Amino acid sequence: MTDLHWMTATEAARAIAARELSPVELMGGLLERIDRLDPKLNVFIRLDGDAAMDAARAAEAEIMSGRRRGPVHGVPVGIKDIIDVAGLPTTCHSKVLIDNVASADAVCVSRLRGAGAIVLGKLSTHEFAIGGPSFDLPWAPARNPWNTDHHPGGSSSGSGSGLAAGLFPMALGSDTGGSVRNPASACGIVGLKPTYGLVSRRGVFPLSFTLDHVGPMTRTVADNAMMLEILAGHDPLDPGSVAAPAGHYNTKLERGVHGLRIGFVRHFHEEDMPADAEVMAALEHVAGTLQKLGAGIRDVRLPTLGEFAAVNRVILQSEAWAIHGQWLREKPEDYGQLARRRLMAGAFLSAGDYVQAGRRRLEMIGAVEAALREVDVLLCASAMDPPSRIDNPEEVERTYPRQARTPFNVTGHPALAMMSGLSSCGLPLSVQFVGHYFAEATLFQVAREWERAAGTENSHPRLV
Amino acid sequence: MDKAIVELLARRAGLDKALAEFPEDVTAAAEQASGSVAKMKAPTDPRAEPWPPMRTGTGL
Repeated sequence: MTDLHWMTATEAARAIAARELSPVELMGGLLERIDRLDPKLNVFIRLDGDAAMDAARAAEAEIMSGRRRGPVHGVPVGIKDIIDVAGLPTTCHSKVLIDNVASADAVCVSRLRGAGAIVLGKLSTHEFAIGGPSFDLPWAPARNPWNTDHHPGGSSSGSGSGLAAGLFPMALGSDTGGSVRNPASACGIVGLKPTYGLVSRRGVFPLSFTLDHVGPMTRTVADNAMMLEILAGHDPLDPGSVAAPAGHYNTKLERGVHGLRIGFVRHFHEEDMPADAEVMAALEHVAGTLQKLGAGIRDVRLPTLGEFAAVNRVILQSEAWAIHGQWLREKPEDYGQLARRRLMAGAFLSAGDYVQAGRRRLEMIGAVEAALREVDVLLCASAMDPPSRIDNPEEVERTYPRQARTPFNVTGHPALAMMSGLSSCGLPLSVQFVGHYFAEATLFQVAREWERAAGTENSHPRLV
Repeated sequence: MDKAIVELLARRAGLDKALAEFPEDVTAAAEQASGSVAKMKAPTDPRAEPWPPMRTGTGL
């Protein structure tokens, strides 16, 4: 049997359902590993170990009595600490909300619990899901398990780090400018930003209403599809939620890519933000491999990354200012410096700037839709550099905006980031696949084929 | 952005406390905002609509 901590959610769920694995044994093994490794990784803001073990015992009793709650009964999940879990604080990694105890589960948490998942605790993020790794907050920033001197990406930092370290097999993240896909890229795991409106945001602390997405984070593509199956669905109390057909995300996982048309957005990493040589080479390797496996690859052009980033920032900063303005007026000292600087920017934007960004946004949606009329999936860079050192603020500041994730927050298309290989320094490199609205199943199909060809699901950091 | 304009806009936004305690952060925020606007292309068609659009609804 696979080591307990490297079991995928699918493997664990199957073994638990077959009574080959006790949820108590799984939880005990993971809690021991968390106890040993988390002091080096800072994945957890709040570990709810006793409650998680109680839930594991209850799951064991239910399964032994023949009652199975759902597809992930007894499988642990970590929750980014901007997402409400009833009875636990939602701090957003900030002094501002240090005593903010959630009265109810967010819809995404409720859906996971309904499927039998067990909440392990609340995970590190960048403060209010913006900024970068900060050392002036009540909790230290998460670190990258591939090399703890490096940052794990963010803002869903604890989610990415904990998955890569084998502390849990599933996690929830949120993505407003790339915050699921950045840690997926930096930690070598699988992170999906679903189509806007597919997963409810109710109970998730907002950063930017029209850019926020909740997304599944896992170590494998199949696990990601399984999580999305649980999370997707209309929520009439989330004004952004879409009443669209949802489900069947694993139906094409093993179909391969023969005959699929893939558009390669080379100008993102070759012209707009020239990427690190190893990142470029890995992207070419992904495209070449998928071509050998039968996909048709053609070059595609979209608006430039600089334009996408500017529109994303104007919208994000305007909407975030509407949320944080009052606190920034009254208690700016309660924020860390990075978040304070980013969140105050909206005070210097006009209503006209915001509307212009929305008008340009519609044109950009049109440009991506036009490109997708010719292909099934887009392939492009996620991060332009391997993750930088965490203790070098200049390098973090330089590399953080060098990414191609924000375009798909602006347009709302589904986008998945995963490992493309390892750098010569042993740090994860990444690739991003982007799909048609609500065509996550095709995205998983391509991602799974790359995962199988490259064996990325078996690539883990060496941790002691 | 001119320092006096930054101060004026910050005070108009009610950021007096931040201006007193974190003046460099206020300046950095103003520079980020003006940098983003400068890099954004405005639509040339005056009829271009913003996204998301107004939708009729019943409220929550």
